[in-house]
Amino acid sequence: MKKIEGVLYQTNAPKGEDPDNIYFVQVDPTKCEACGTCEEVCGTGAIQAINEDGIRSVVNPAACMNCGQCLVNCPYGAIYEGVSYVDEIFEKLKDPDTVVVSMPAPAVRYGLGESFGYSTGTYVGGKMHAALRKLGFDYIWDNEFTADVTIMEEGTELIQRVQEQGKEGARPLPQFTSCCPAWVKFVETFYPDLLANVSSCKSPIGMLGPLAKTYGAHETHTPAKKIYTVSIMPCIAKKYEGLRPEMADSGFQDIDATINTRELAYMIKKAGLDFRSLPDQAPDAVLGDSTGAATIFGNSGGVMEAALRLGYEVLSGKKLGNPDIKVVRTHEGINTADIPVPGFGTVKVAVASGLSNAAKLCEEVRAGKSPYHFIEIMACPGGCVNGGGQPLDPDIQASLFSNTVAQINKRFRARKVSA
Amino acid sequence: MKLNRRGFIKLCGCVAGYAVLSVNMAKVAVAASMDFVGLRQNSVYNADAKVYKLRKSQDNPMIKKIYDHEHGFLHEGPCGHMSHHLLHTHYVDRSAGVKALKNKGFKLAL
Repeated sequence: MKKIEGVLYQTNAPKGEDPDNIYFVQVDPTKCEACGTCEEVCGTGAIQAINEDGIRSVVNPAACMNCGQCLVNCPYGAIYEGVSYVDEIFEKLKDPDTVVVSMPAPAVRYGLGESFGYSTGTYVGGKMHAALRKLGFDYIWDNEFTADVTIMEEGTELIQRVQEQGKEGARPLPQFTSCCPAWVKFVETFYPDLLANVSSCKSPIGMLGPLAKTYGAHETHTPAKKIYTVSIMPCIAKKYEGLRPEMADSGFQDIDATINTRELAYMIKKAGLDFRSLPDQAPDAVLGDSTGAATIFGNSGGVMEAALRLGYEVLSGKKLGNPDIKVVRTHEGINTADIPVPGFGTVKVAVASGLSNAAKLCEEVRAGKSPYHFIEIMACPGGCVNGGGQPLDPDIQASLFSNTVAQINKRFRARKVSA
Repeated sequence: MKLNRRGFIKLCGCVAGYAVLSVNMAKVAVAASMDFVGLRQNSVYNADAKVYKLRKSQDNPMIKKIYDHEHGFLHEGPCGHMSHHLLHTHYVDRSAGVKALKNKGFKLAL
């Protein structure tokens, strides 16, 4: 076990293991105070009491979507991560025969600064690129580039689906987004009858892995077998996604290692870099440049807004003057909107974060009553900025109120059991 | 110990005070955690409007390069053959695991 930014990690870097058998998060029973916060935030019921004292545990990996909301909301730091590639990445960075490339997600740059004393949400994208370069990454590629690719692919798929309605073999509407790995496992587990509604597009990181080892290898004249791709995510479930056996379309495993924002902060500190004094730097061509449409992927409603910025122009044939489509921006829960598009009509959309909200929209689709064209789902409330791999909210662990109540409850239960 | 009138009123006051205080503290705790998310969300929209020069995916010059009709790596355009080979996937029915758990008597939320 290694303590990383307030969270314990098992130093386990699985290779070729079936990710369905791995506990990506688990409760340390010696630290659990039986307060039940984890059970309240869990969308599937995977984490539950395993004895009379109310000690909680993830009962089986099959029921856990790996979102990590239990971990970030635990007031006692009793939940640990089961997988960390940090040690392996340090070794690869030292190896002159390995070309290590970075692939940070949009939301990482809005959380990383908090580990270095910046106020909540401060944008540190330029310093993040500089830090990755100083750590020894050979190419600073950026997952925001493939967020833009995702919009091109997923937006085109949506337009195709709309146009093929009524024809034979038409793919169904609504189309669900497929960026969030906890949501994808969720729909595979609880709503397998709706898989045809899920966009066939891989997530942005699912696209950058194979592009790095094909297009990126070609453009930089690097043998693909020397490339080691590091996915850096605000997320725990992305570790599961990286291990999916089908993610090997480049001829190699597309994603070699996955870490999260906390682990990147740990690596920067461990390497002795003074993060705050780093200059702002840009990522490397050809898989680095991005747009505002890509950076908003980290918010609930962001993928929707980015897709509409494309869909509007393709469907109407007109330029979208103001790219702000504020009605789809979603702070929490479910949000629905009708977007008028000239020459097309009305695009009906829904945005949801939190898996219990996702279930409500899935039930509508299952019943054939869903009026929407496009539905965006994120497992974490508010989107990836609040992901399970982000730096912890200092208020949650310092919350004296919940700590005290939990301790009283635990003593009360203990007394009842012994009496 | 006998509780007099004054003591009783004092006790009622304390009980009411604690009840109001704890309800409010719970509300504050929940609001604070969503504020934390709100701050990060605002920062994202702020960067979209002010840091990023281009704001639409289709305007990214590297997107134009990769989808270029003649020389692009994905020259067939979005959802072409190369895209389907590298960038699209298929999904797997994973319901068997939770069915087995439910058969063992575990209660899940869904």
